[in-house]
Amino acid sequence: MTTEAAIPSPAPSPFSVPGVRQLLDRRPPGRGRLYGVVRWGGAGIFAAVFVALLVSLFEQAAPALGHMGPAILWREWNPAKNQFGAGIFIVGTVITTAIALIISVPVGIAAAVLFAELAPRRIAGPMAAAIEFLAAIPSIVVGLWALIVLEPVFSRHVEPFFKKVPVLDALFHGPALGASLFLAGVVLAIMVLPTMVALSRSAMAAVAVEDREAGRALAATRWQVARQVVVPGARRGIRAAVTLAMGRAFGEAIAVAMVIGNNTGVPHSLLSPGASLGSAIVNSFSEALPGSLEKSGVVALVIVLLAISVVVNAGGQLLLRRRKPTTPPRGPVDATGGAGGPDPLLDLAESAP
Amino acid sequence: MTDVSLPLADGGAVRRDLIRRATGRRIWRRRRFSHVATALCVVAMCLSLTPLVSLLGYIVARGLPAISFGFLVHTPTPIGVPGNGIGNAIVGTVIIVGLAMVMAVPVGVAAALFVVEHPGRLSGTLRFAADVLTGTPSIAIGVFAYAVIALNFGFSALAGSFALAVLMLPIMLRANEEAMFGVPAELWEAGLALGSRRSRVVRSVVLRSALPGMVTGNLLAMARAVGETAPLIFTIFGSQFYALRPTAPMAALPLTIYSDATQPFPAAQQTAWGAALVLVVLVVVVSAAARVVSARLNRKAR
Amino acid sequence: MTTTDEMPASGVTTATLPCRALEEVPRSRDVRRASAPLVSGGAAATPAPAVALHGVSVAFGAHVAVRGVTLSVPGQGVTALVGPSGCGKTSVLRAVNRLHDETGGRVTGRVLLGELDVYASGTPAELVRSRVGMVFQRPNPFPAMNIFDNVVSGLRFCGIRSKSLLADSAEAALRQAALWDVVRDRLREPAVRLSGGQQQRLCIARALAVEPEVLLMDEPCSALDPIATGKIEELIARLASHITIVLVTHNMFQAARVSDHTAVFLLGEDRVGELVEAGTTAEIFSNPKDPRTRAYVTGHVG
Ligand SMILES: Nc1ncnc2c1ncn2[C@@H]1O[C@H](COP(=O)(O)OP(=O)(O)OP(=O)(O)O)[C@@H](O)[C@H]1O
Ligand SMILES: [Mg+2]
Repeated sequence: MTTEAAIPSPAPSPFSVPGVRQLLDRRPPGRGRLYGVVRWGGAGIFAAVFVALLVSLFEQAAPALGHMGPAILWREWNPAKNQFGAGIFIVGTVITTAIALIISVPVGIAAAVLFAELAPRRIAGPMAAAIEFLAAIPSIVVGLWALIVLEPVFSRHVEPFFKKVPVLDALFHGPALGASLFLAGVVLAIMVLPTMVALSRSAMAAVAVEDREAGRALAATRWQVARQVVVPGARRGIRAAVTLAMGRAFGEAIAVAMVIGNNTGVPHSLLSPGASLGSAIVNSFSEALPGSLEKSGVVALVIVLLAISVVVNAGGQLLLRRRKPTTPPRGPVDATGGAGGPDPLLDLAESAP
Repeated sequence: MTDVSLPLADGGAVRRDLIRRATGRRIWRRRRFSHVATALCVVAMCLSLTPLVSLLGYIVARGLPAISFGFLVHTPTPIGVPGNGIGNAIVGTVIIVGLAMVMAVPVGVAAALFVVEHPGRLSGTLRFAADVLTGTPSIAIGVFAYAVIALNFGFSALAGSFALAVLMLPIMLRANEEAMFGVPAELWEAGLALGSRRSRVVRSVVLRSALPGMVTGNLLAMARAVGETAPLIFTIFGSQFYALRPTAPMAALPLTIYSDATQPFPAAQQTAWGAALVLVVLVVVVSAAARVVSARLNRKAR
Repeated sequence: MTTTDEMPASGVTTATLPCRALEEVPRSRDVRRASAPLVSGGAAATPAPAVALHGVSVAFGAHVAVRGVTLSVPGQGVTALVGPSGCGKTSVLRAVNRLHDETGGRVTGRVLLGELDVYASGTPAELVRSRVGMVFQRPNPFPAMNIFDNVVSGLRFCGIRSKSLLADSAEAALRQAALWDVVRDRLREPAVRLSGGQQQRLCIARALAVEPEVLLMDEPCSALDPIATGKIEELIARLASHITIVLVTHNMFQAARVSDHTAVFLLGEDRVGELVEAGTTAEIFSNPKDPRTRAYVTGHVG
């Protein structure tokens, strides 16, 4: 996901300016017919693609969905028994995504704070640009590196180490094979980190200079300004960054399939080889014969994945849309005496202690 | 002095002293805390940079030795046979992405014009669909393209292009739309006031001034499509030869990396690293082009 | 008033002493004095100025904004800095609490805050700022905080955690800023819900909560309407009885109304700001010594 595409900036339509719309409507009809065809055609094709996507996927998945019913959400995947449940894969997806977020959110925000607030501008600029550039690296390349470079390191050093850590050993037991839910989560974390850093940094950069100065003038240290003024001021953008990172982690298939171990059994530990929705789709799709119930079952997995990603992304988009201006209205203002009426745009929940 | 500070007469003085003392005393501790926290942030930055630097380092260190003129132009050979190459995969990626651009760019521009010119419920829905599609896992789009095209007409480059086009469309739509919204209303107005036809206004005024943003957005979408594997994996099938017919199976770089990386042979892995280097260079070139073009056009527009 | 961990061991006895006297009690851990190089000399008869500038210049890169300002701001009362736009009033004001540190302004010369050498190498900026409050041109409450958190933010920055002390200080500061009656029932509402004038008074309360010795105000009324301005002026007059206020203003009537002393800045030949004349407000307005002052003052008032 490119950062540019991720944040829609709310810009007013040129037609909100009175007069333009009317001017357009006064054009003689007919002369712009071709142009109208172009516009409606473009919109029509776009809508058709969107509808076709949903229709064809549901059509393909229908036999399996009918066969499994709601049990698809918790049953296991066992084609031999004609059982096409997504339960194990949902668990795998949730575990790997959770690992990815547990690592990438604090690390990404801390790095963004460093770039936005703490580091000297001369160093921070190029470093941030470098990290943002890394967001463009294709996931297949990350997968290749993870498979050939990271996996041996994990099976030899990292996983044995976590098996020895007192409390964590409850989560990390069993043979250290390298390919595991844990490794998949870490790879996802590495993949979403650049996005996390880039989006949180731009959210922090949008916090008003006046707010920082107010903090400094109140004797806050650099860290205090960052932690107590800038991060809270950017919290909506940061939350949106987390949601988008989560969406990407949920949906990644290829890189995960390369390192997760692809085991459709119940995982007993984070070191178990497992499967996520994406990796299961990659691996089972080519195996299943066209027209078989299994093929339909794989498409049903796609539908489950789609449903999760729509929920996650719709949440993220809503957060971005609701982002209120980070600065209060600071123009000339009304008389002081009367209590300023509550602004309906600001939500109470945000400010509740 | 009238007491404005506290109901208690001398409470103000006590508090003032307390606060002035406290503020002075803790400063070094607070500074130390600030430095420790900054150090932790530096650690976080190193944590996030290390894997990425290692990744880039390996691609260059392992990829460069793999690359030769022959590697860039030859077709794959069976494992162990000399003269292996990824020429057909490079050409395949260029053809597939090129076709995808041909499909997606016009639709993206037209649909964006619709959204800009018809603000309202319909456009809102369209935009929402674009946002949802942008977040759709690319593997889902791959399965969709399989179901719509590969299943009916067989595996082909076109099926892969279609998948990539579907992937790029929503990104392009939003980028174009934003570039057009950036055009000042006065420009639209000026063009219309001169009595020009609506389509001419759009062509001569709006598109020209929105062009830098549109080109940048479209190229960035392309940069993303170049590296995508999931939409191709069920659609283009791959090929061992120079296949130039879009209706036939074709090779592509991401697919080469995927299939070679998962093989246990060092020679195959070396091919994967070489292909990865070429792919990263392609992505970087396209992203850089996006920025250069937008900077150049921006300067010209002024 | 509750005693808490903020209360020093000897607090019960010292707290009853007047505040100025407390400053003389040596405390080894008190940075306020430990790192404050003393200035020698000064006539014992006249009280030490609250703020003293000696040959202060502020430059941004190669551009010198204001040069060679030597000015004593007497303790308590209001000192107005007036002058045309761009003559460096804000730059001088920000030199007092070292706000140029982070924005690339270079300050030369000497600034004394009481006996603290503001720019001495051992003086932390946080120390200076904990003793100097600042109110900006535009109201800038922290948008992510509610009213209460805004008021006590300075105390929290300074490491004060005691709930009762925070609550007491917040009430006292809001009372001083004449805002208590307006916000006492809405302390948990976001600060940005207040009107602009209320927001500015909230910023004053926020600055007062840390019990500063000096309050810097940079055109605090320029974003406000006349009624809100009147309220702020009333407030300034009231605060001046126990705190030193340095007020930058464009409004000569305001300077005449609220200030005890006035310093006039003008742009010199080379477009560099300089201090032309300083004295009691009555003197400056009725009987200025410098002809440039006379021209400026009469041009704006007479
Ligand atoms: N951060 C900065 N970087 C570069 N130049 C600056 C900066 N701040 C101020 N200046 C310059 O310093 C000069 C004095 O500015 P300053 O803000 O102190 O003037 P002022 O007297 O407060 O003006 P006004 O009455 O308009 O507020 C101006 O020429 C201004 O351009
Ligand atoms: Mg100013």
